[in-house]
Amino acid sequence: MAETKERVIGIDLGTTNSCAAMVRGGRPEIIPNAEGERVTPSVVVFSDGDEVLVGQLAKRQSLLSADRAVLSVKRKMGTDWRFNVSRDGKQEAYTPEQVSAYVLQKIKRDAEDFLGGEVNRAVITVPAYFNNLQRQATKDAGKIAGLEVLRIINEPTAASLAYGLDRQQQEQTILVYDFGGGTFDASILDLGEGVFEVVASDGDTELGGDDIDQRIIDWLVDEFRSETGIDLGQDVAALQRLRDAAEGAKKELSSRMEAKISLPYLTADATGPKHLEKTLTRARLEGMIEDIIQRTMNIVDNTLEAAKKSPEDIHQVVLVGGSTRIPKVQELVSQRFTKGQVNRDINPDEVVALGAAVQAAILAGEMDEVVLLDVTPLTLSIETLGGVATPIIERNTTIPVERSKTFTTAEDYQAQVEIHVVQGERKMAQDNKSLGRFVLSDIPPAPRGTPQIDVTFSINTDGILEVTAKDKGTGKSSSITIKETSRLSQEEIERMRNEAEEHAEEDRRRAEEVEARNEADQLIYTAEKTLSDLGDKVPSAKRGEIETAIRDLKQKLESRAELSSLRSSIDTLKRAAGEVAQAAYSQGGEEAGPGGEQGGDQGGEDQGSDYIDYEKE
Amino acid sequence: MSHHEYSGEEEKQQPQEEGQQQGEDLQARIEEKEQENQELRDKLLRVRADFENYRKQVERNTEELVRRVSDQEVLDLVEVYDSMEAAFRAYRRLEDAQAFVEGMERIFAQLAEMLERKGCRSFCAQGDKFDPTRHEVLIATESPEERDTILEEFERGWCRGERVLRTSKVKASLGPEHKTGGDTHGGNEGKSNRD
Repeated sequence: MAETKERVIGIDLGTTNSCAAMVRGGRPEIIPNAEGERVTPSVVVFSDGDEVLVGQLAKRQSLLSADRAVLSVKRKMGTDWRFNVSRDGKQEAYTPEQVSAYVLQKIKRDAEDFLGGEVNRAVITVPAYFNNLQRQATKDAGKIAGLEVLRIINEPTAASLAYGLDRQQQEQTILVYDFGGGTFDASILDLGEGVFEVVASDGDTELGGDDIDQRIIDWLVDEFRSETGIDLGQDVAALQRLRDAAEGAKKELSSRMEAKISLPYLTADATGPKHLEKTLTRARLEGMIEDIIQRTMNIVDNTLEAAKKSPEDIHQVVLVGGSTRIPKVQELVSQRFTKGQVNRDINPDEVVALGAAVQAAILAGEMDEVVLLDVTPLTLSIETLGGVATPIIERNTTIPVERSKTFTTAEDYQAQVEIHVVQGERKMAQDNKSLGRFVLSDIPPAPRGTPQIDVTFSINTDGILEVTAKDKGTGKSSSITIKETSRLSQEEIERMRNEAEEHAEEDRRRAEEVEARNEADQLIYTAEKTLSDLGDKVPSAKRGEIETAIRDLKQKLESRAELSSLRSSIDTLKRAAGEVAQAAYSQGGEEAGPGGEQGGDQGGEDQGSDYIDYEKE
Repeated sequence: MSHHEYSGEEEKQQPQEEGQQQGEDLQARIEEKEQENQELRDKLLRVRADFENYRKQVERNTEELVRRVSDQEVLDLVEVYDSMEAAFRAYRRLEDAQAFVEGMERIFAQLAEMLERKGCRSFCAQGDKFDPTRHEVLIATESPEERDTILEEFERGWCRGERVLRTSKVKASLGPEHKTGGDTHGGNEGKSNRD
């Protein structure tokens, strides 16, 4: 009897939206809901019958069923507020716990569908300012929903856990700046020996991204009125389009300097249709919302004061909530906390749920088994024909790892190959760091492209790289062990990556040129071979055409002709040789085609074989 | 006596030898197990690393897939763009409004055909009964119509196959005489849908 692994999840039970996550393979992941969305609106609608709608569907009809819909029940947690509604002729009164339980139930059910198993245990987050009654109510909501609540944790703590701040071996002070759709919270946490303690927390429950959208809408309405004399304030349909456009523009301005808002046929008057066409610059938006952001910074100051800390005491800043994507917010926060590291890489809408999932996994004992595995900081390659660095293990690959590729010879009767191992992101081997070379010799004489040489890169957990080259024909192998692949300093790694970025374009051109030259060389070889193999079967006119094309291509190779010119000659020869091969086939010459690429591929990454540069004495 | 002593020594020696043998056996077994443990640990780490690398590969593939799909969609849009550009060019040259409108109609048909090919359909909600999977209420108002009847559509909805891409934005009826059933002090006051 196999014991099925029971899943534990983390839930961010929010005022507007809720979100769930779980740890898989040591990393937290968001669990999408039944509608395929990553967040679920915290809205519940009680029908007159026995149906209860939760989430997006409930939100869509919340206006129609205003007396049957519960929004923002989180604000009521821990109070004796009741939601009174008649159902099937009976008057019912729901507690905030019961209403929240419907949201949690949907999350539980959707998670079970997604994961294909029961979900019975969860960690749920609450704002740092929640009192014991509110926490207990949240826990009870979980119980009603059929969840064993392993722990109630603070949202800022969850966000810090998602960033793994608890694993840093030092005492730290953390500021969590949480600027969501409708609320703003600032919390200061002390972290010591892996335990978080909320020192101070402050906020504004009526301040968020929705206010920013409203500013943009107001601006658009004003502009439209002054241009057309039409007031859109009462036009529901137009306002809906404005709202979508405003939110879109706000989001666009997080990555661009200006956003075009274009709403053709927005409305009409006696003179005809009216269109709205506006450009909102980032500077203008920042001007519009300066006071909103300033209010958040004032709250941050109050929180610092309450915690008796100065900005210099803050080691880490964690950004939570969609509104922290606004560049101005990030700028002001970084300016205030010059000594602090600003954490903002994780999706700010999801970071709390992800952190709750981490806490759940820790409590379920799942994180103990997780060993932090290293990654290769830079790509490891070997030098192939023409000095190209051919990657075997790409950068950011988790170790231990083993990867192989099959190569072949570049010259007829080549007796040995040299394996040159390099590290770095540049396309040409010489621009990368050389880690070592070795030779595989005694390759039996064979035409080029025939021998198959497996090159295997194996990195163990200590980061030690062993490179082995093995002739598949004879089984003879040769290898080298390289110890310093991971001994690069962070600066060195950065420098090498930056260099690769700076030279990306020129490197690409050089690699392309080498590739074309290699192709030309191979093509000449096979075309000549075809001519000699087929002998008399090739009509003399065709033979002449191919020979001319070969001469032309050889000449271009020698004179190092331009890439485009080289390519056109390659195409000419390819066409001519291809026709001959085809003709030979149709005449019944079974093995008459130009020799295709030889050698299989062991690494499963590329289709053809590369040629290891032949070392001439 | 000496004999006795001798045999006694022998007796003592034998368990000692046995013990030593046993100890050696145990030591060997421990070493064997340690080695096995080490090998299993190494295997576990490799499986974990493989999983991580696989996950990265899947992420890369997904990104690539999204890029390819969106490239394809863009290419379709480009066709419409080209047609419209041609229509404007022709109009500037000939100033034939009738021909321009006809051209636009063709382009519109082209666009409609393209959307249909992709399995996209728009739907009109007017007169339908409100369905939260397809409609979103912007205004709810008392009216002679039955409760939940859609009185007006502000923005039509779109679906692709069974999946609703965009809900239709509607005005719906609360019925002729609307009674408030809920607690108006509750979470359902006007602005409470804000976080």
